[in-house]
Amino acid sequence: MTNLVYLVPLFPLIGFLINGIFWKKMPKSAGGIIGSLAVLASFCVSLGIFFEVKSLPEGTVLPPVELFSFIQSGSLNIPFSFQVDALSSLFLLIITGVGFLIHVYSTSYMHEDEGMVKYFAYLNLFVFSMLLLVLGSNYLIMFIGWEGVGLCSYLLIGFWFKNRDYTNAAKKAFVMNRIGDLGFLVGMLLVLLNFGTLSYQEFFNALPTTQVAGSTYNWIALCFFIGAMGKSAQIPLYTWLPDAMAGPTPVSALIHAATMVTAGIYMIARSNALYNLAPAILDFIAIIGLATALLAATIAIKQYDIKKVLAYSTVSQLGFMFLAIGVGAYTTAVFHVMTHAFFKALLFLGSGSVIHAMGGEQDIRKMGGLGKHMAITQGTFLIGCLAIAGIPGFAGFFSKDEILAAVYGHSPVLFALALAGALMTAFYMFRLYFLTFRGKFRGTHEQEHHLHESPAAITIPLVVLALLSIAGGYVGLPAVISEHHTLATYLSPVVSNIGAHHLSHETEWMLMGISVSLVLVMIAVAYNVTKKASFAPNTGIAKVLENKWYIDELYDAVIVRPMAALSRFSDKFVERAGIDGLVNGVGKTVRWGGDRLRLMQSGQVGFYIFVMVLGMVALFAFSFILTN
Amino acid sequence: MVIQEALFWFLTVMAIVCALGVILSRNPISSVLFLIATFFAISGHYILLNAQFLGIVNIIVYAGAIMVLFLFVIMLMNLNADTEPQKNRLIQFAGVISGGILFLVVLAAMRTVGGTAVDHTTTDIGLIKNLGKVLFTQYVLPFEISSVLFLSAMIGAIVIGKKE
Amino acid sequence: MKAIIAATIIGVVLMFTGILVKEKKGIATLAAILFFLLLGVNIWELSTLDANQPQAFFNNMLRIDRYSVWFNTLMTACTVLYVMLSGREIQKVGIHVSDYFALMSFMLVGLYMLSGYSNMLVLFLGIEIISIPQYILAGSDKKNLKSSEASLKYFLMGAFTTGILLMGITLLYGASGTFDIARFTFLQADSLNPMALCGIIFLIIAFAFKVSAAPMHMWTPDVYDGSPTPFTAFMSTVVKAAAFIAFIKLFHISFNSLSGHWTMIIAVITAATLLVGNVTAVFQQSVKRMMAYSSIAQAGFMLFAVLSISATSWQGLIIYAVSYTVATMGVFAVLMKLKDFTYDGFNGLAKREPLLAFVMTIFLLSLAGIPLTGGFMAKYFMLTAAVEQGQVLWLVIFALLMAAISVYYYFRVIIAMYFKQGSPEMSSPVTAGDRLVLVATAALVILLGVAPGLLLKFI
Repeated sequence: MTNLVYLVPLFPLIGFLINGIFWKKMPKSAGGIIGSLAVLASFCVSLGIFFEVKSLPEGTVLPPVELFSFIQSGSLNIPFSFQVDALSSLFLLIITGVGFLIHVYSTSYMHEDEGMVKYFAYLNLFVFSMLLLVLGSNYLIMFIGWEGVGLCSYLLIGFWFKNRDYTNAAKKAFVMNRIGDLGFLVGMLLVLLNFGTLSYQEFFNALPTTQVAGSTYNWIALCFFIGAMGKSAQIPLYTWLPDAMAGPTPVSALIHAATMVTAGIYMIARSNALYNLAPAILDFIAIIGLATALLAATIAIKQYDIKKVLAYSTVSQLGFMFLAIGVGAYTTAVFHVMTHAFFKALLFLGSGSVIHAMGGEQDIRKMGGLGKHMAITQGTFLIGCLAIAGIPGFAGFFSKDEILAAVYGHSPVLFALALAGALMTAFYMFRLYFLTFRGKFRGTHEQEHHLHESPAAITIPLVVLALLSIAGGYVGLPAVISEHHTLATYLSPVVSNIGAHHLSHETEWMLMGISVSLVLVMIAVAYNVTKKASFAPNTGIAKVLENKWYIDELYDAVIVRPMAALSRFSDKFVERAGIDGLVNGVGKTVRWGGDRLRLMQSGQVGFYIFVMVLGMVALFAFSFILTN
Repeated sequence: MVIQEALFWFLTVMAIVCALGVILSRNPISSVLFLIATFFAISGHYILLNAQFLGIVNIIVYAGAIMVLFLFVIMLMNLNADTEPQKNRLIQFAGVISGGILFLVVLAAMRTVGGTAVDHTTTDIGLIKNLGKVLFTQYVLPFEISSVLFLSAMIGAIVIGKKE
Repeated sequence: MKAIIAATIIGVVLMFTGILVKEKKGIATLAAILFFLLLGVNIWELSTLDANQPQAFFNNMLRIDRYSVWFNTLMTACTVLYVMLSGREIQKVGIHVSDYFALMSFMLVGLYMLSGYSNMLVLFLGIEIISIPQYILAGSDKKNLKSSEASLKYFLMGAFTTGILLMGITLLYGASGTFDIARFTFLQADSLNPMALCGIIFLIIAFAFKVSAAPMHMWTPDVYDGSPTPFTAFMSTVVKAAAFIAFIKLFHISFNSLSGHWTMIIAVITAATLLVGNVTAVFQQSVKRMMAYSSIAQAGFMLFAVLSISATSWQGLIIYAVSYTVATMGVFAVLMKLKDFTYDGFNGLAKREPLLAFVMTIFLLSLAGIPLTGGFMAKYFMLTAAVEQGQVLWLVIFALLMAAISVYYYFRVIIAMYFKQGSPEMSSPVTAGDRLVLVATAALVILLGVAPGLLLKFI
């Protein structure tokens, strides 16, 4: 089966080509069916691969499956090959499995949209890129997928391009991602420079034996982490993710919750051999992760847009994953990626169902009492909330508990802060739940009239995801219940888990008890708060939270405006000051097509040559400084 | 030797003064005349270097043909000092200063270059016979290919000059 | 050598077709066929060339090897592609259609000389042969004042640079007594002759002008913007590549041992070029002018090949030249179909001409260096070469930053095409043939991104 791995990305690629080429002529439903079937086919192959990898004797690592030689020049040889192992096969399942459900959901959700076939083409292209990202056997292929998912995310955020804000959001996402990509690229070049290879296996094998300066590891690890910051929305590059909610809701579920944003976690988990050599960077990751988790959670508390709450919650959960990585618990981070993919996709799809029913309304102040009209959506959404809040028995509990335990083993102070983040999570999620589904309806009469449960293509994925949000956690039972951690065993050939501390059973029971009881308290608090919610304009700290700590405004003032000013300055200097100012004197502006003779001999050439001569002088001077 | 040296300095001063005259004079006709004088001075240099053929060709082609053509054009278009557009003082100053700096910099760079003078009087490389020989044997490729350059220049004259 | 002779003959033949063939379309077709034949001659020359044995002609005036002939072949192929993409637009420029093609053929002669020269005289002639036709083509649209202005400006500044180039060659001759680039005697001396150093700097300046690198780039926007669009497409691609191969050849073969003296100068030029090109491109309102600045920015990347002396940079130059040329020609081919060259002119193109918008997107992605396109591989090779060189890591990081900025202005076009509404006016209908060639070009861009190794097979 593993030699068929090329089929996994091939199916979505074919789907993309068919949908992309014939999007004008194809009926909408055909586009949806082709798109969904392509991902389903990939999922089937992925399942086969997963079970084959699982049946391998412990400790075996398969060699990469080489498709063709990509770059071959002198000492540099980079094949286009796929790495099939525990980590990539797990991600394959998440991507194609959740991806398939979301495709099915989209067939109904996007049915009204005239660009539906185009939408499926983009979605298939995204799945293809994401599969490339996780399958590649070297950093270059990962980077190709990395850029590819960025591009698709850009296309899909801006999918409803008639709204200007949406295209701006798309641009912001792309630019922020590019900043992160720079870090990734520099990291890649550093690896190439120091180790002469980009292949994972060769690189990791060379790590212990190659003699390089100790700080090299730190630099490479830091550069990769900067890449991860961009893609996985960590401080300071997180602001694009909430804005990315401009895209259609299934896109938010697939790209901005379940798959793409976890690429950063994947990359670092993949490079765990490197990070183990750079403990300083791990500490840094832990701090950034924790700070992001807390910051995003505080913002989520005061948001009123149903998708914004989920977006900030995603940022916050990603922060938890990085926190787990920072304390060395890579497997735990991957575990949380998996459970998070289930319950966050569920929550997003549920919110999509709600928005659908509300006729496009996203403001939770205008909702309420929806549970009466949409029982399935309410039920599944509740399961999602219970899972993310960490109620025992649901998937989120197991992974989050594992993170908290690992953090406690690392430092009790970090644990306290992380626990605070987890409690805020429980609070804002249940605030969202109660405001949306319970109480009285606060929207217009017309909206109330239209409230209805969504069709089967929407509810079935919800139910499946809800089941997964419950069952998904049982692959990693806590040590107090079972010493055998299925997921950790499965991943052990690829991912080390040095951070998983073995706490005594009493401590672990205690931690669990504290967190669960406090979460229950928070849910009760949320219930009380929302019952008498007045929605008066916020003041003080609440207003700051509602405005997201004014981070966007800060970036605008500190980075965007100076950049624009610099660009304008350069434009003025070269274009206007150069031609009009210096040559013709201020006030005697020459316009194109003006006086013919003047235009020909206006002295612009003189000015250009003047600059050239100045440049020559500078170069000569520079070369003398160099030689002497 | 003394005569040669004296001639060298005379021609050099003449070339520089006349070249300055080309760019400084307001009247286009005097510019052209200055340019012709510059060419003569340079031809003198060629002859001093024992390159008689080059010296003669320089006079015939540049001073004789091209510059006369220039004169005709200027006279036919009736250009004179009055029609020359006013140039900005600032750019003139800037040009002079930057050109001067460049001159200084290059001069400073080359101040240590030792004079390994080649005695040209004894070689007869510049004579027409030897020149022809070299041109048609060793440098035959550049010589032939320059025809492509002239062809494209001729096409240019047609494309730019012919009325549409 | 065969190719030089063939290209000269083809140029002369094309010159005279203007008398015999009155129909413009016939001339364009004939030119396409003749250029195709020229490609055949190049391939023939390539096949007769021994892989390890450079072949010298006429007392070492010209020394060709597999690399240079393969470069010629690729650039000739690009010219064929160019004639197919913009043949119809060339016919619209003016009445001297046969002369335009003849000039292009002569420019190819110049290109072949620049890729194979082994003597400074041939270098000088080659540079003049690619320059003079450019001055003419820039001014070929005589009814347009901007075109005449571009031509005159380019000519004046080009003449100035020719002086500098000659000065450099003279100083090198003075320092070594030879024009042969393999035999510069000052290279053997213990200390560097200042005359030679000055000569090298003058040559750097002259080359910087020809490849439009800062601070000698000032002519580029005006000239590229003013020239008739089909000729801009040719000047900014094939001709620029010719100047680059001459640049890298001289500095890597002749001045290799002096690299300590000029690497940093070129590094500074590269940084300045990247900065000016990318930052100023952001603020342009016209796509054509943006492409002019983009060509400056791309030249900045190509300068990396000169900067780092290694096999990778030679390979990178081929990959960069081809992928940049193909993508830029594609962009211009689409641009020429539109009436309005501003960004707003592109509004809603995806609705009106989805195929055109799609291929345009691929070309722009390639120029921006997005993976799986030729442009990414090209940039990758360039940066790898610089990393291998080791001294200029700061420049690599700076270049990456600039590449990130470039995404902004390339994507503005994509945004206009897909995310904005409007009905763009077309200057000419898009025929089935156009679509076919455009799709093939786009496929080529992708192919280069997936299998760049194809370009290195024949070296």
